[in-house]
Amino acid sequence: MKKFVSIISVMLIIFASFITAFAAGINANEQSVLNQMRTPANMQGNMVYVPSSYVNQAEAHFNTIDMTSAQASKINSIISQGRSFLEGTGKSSINKLTGSEKKTIANYASQAAAVLNLSATAGSDGTQVKVIDKSGNTIIDDSGAVIKTTGAVNKDFSAPIMIGFVLVSAVCCGLLMISKKAKNS
Amino acid sequence: MSKNKKRLGITKFIYVPIIFCVIMYLSVLAIFSADLTDIVSIGSMFLSDKQVDYSTAYENIFVPTNINSDTVNAEDVEYPSINKQFGELKINNRDVSAKLFFGDGTIPLNNGVGVYAGSFIPGYGKTILVAGHNNTYFNGLKNVKTGDIVTVNTSYGNYEYEITGTKIAGKNDKSAYDLSAEEENLVMYTCYPFDELGLTELRYFVYAKKTSGPEIVGLYE
Repeated sequence: MKKFVSIISVMLIIFASFITAFAAGINANEQSVLNQMRTPANMQGNMVYVPSSYVNQAEAHFNTIDMTSAQASKINSIISQGRSFLEGTGKSSINKLTGSEKKTIANYASQAAAVLNLSATAGSDGTQVKVIDKSGNTIIDDSGAVIKTTGAVNKDFSAPIMIGFVLVSAVCCGLLMISKKAKNS
Repeated sequence: MSKNKKRLGITKFIYVPIIFCVIMYLSVLAIFSADLTDIVSIGSMFLSDKQVDYSTAYENIFVPTNINSDTVNAEDVEYPSINKQFGELKINNRDVSAKLFFGDGTIPLNNGVGVYAGSFIPGYGKTILVAGHNNTYFNGLKNVKTGDIVTVNTSYGNYEYEITGTKIAGKNDKSAYDLSAEEENLVMYTCYPFDELGLTELRYFVYAKKTSGPEIVGLYE
């Protein structure tokens, strides 16, 4: 009987988490993080915002999870520290930050992602941000532009290799025949 | 003497031309390597007998529904994650009919059209930015006209959008879309010109406004 109750309990927990993970919706904790992300940094009078594409991708992910109050509190604290760091650099825009300063910002992003068991990486200059979950699924990807390359690209190289081979062979054969004619004459 | 002449002839008329050809071939390859993908695409259309690998490595959560209500509860909506098929997109009589994915990477664009993850899903009340290839699923965009109806079917509701206009813009032109819009709008795009493969600087944008379909309610606590 105890075993049966345990099995039922486990099944109920799994089922409950299944439903939670799938349902869309932004809870108050997630909303507070989105609000933090939308709050600009005042860099020498210039208001610098997190790009909408990042905030939107974060919102899309929040629609697939259920963030706790503790997680939101940690993330908001990290975002706040990042904003203070930006304002304390004395620079007037992100573009004017040094490579080291950009890396520091990327580190803050990485720490915030880690709270949700996500992994954030960035390029050497702090741009090209990519956030993935433990299974390797992409959550945020800024390695490409918003607008993608939508002209078809075929990666089958057999055709050019074949064309090249035929061309080279034809030229070689032609030259060989010419050399033979020259030799005969 | 004749032996030396023969050796000289072999070198002059066989080895040198072959080496010359190989060097020329490699040089041309190096010079035009940037455009190789375009040449490959065109060449492959005529010469390759290989079946293109339209990968099926994606999850499909789309189940057609006949529910036609004005609203749908957020808790009844399964929000898709990247590379999942969650619907289909059609423009009747314009030769556009494709599976709709969340995300616009290789898997979505090889198998259908994809919603940029930094935009939103139908019913959310914000911008839906959809990409598709110009030689496959979005080739038919060249035929669309203002007033045409775009149908988007998802598991949580069926939507219709009326095309309001088109625009040709640069790929980096951020004025071609607004990801922070607070009104539901559908933006579809593909590479332009339509008959050009590979890397192009221009995109063909098609804009549409929502005319019917359930609004997702209860998204925010």
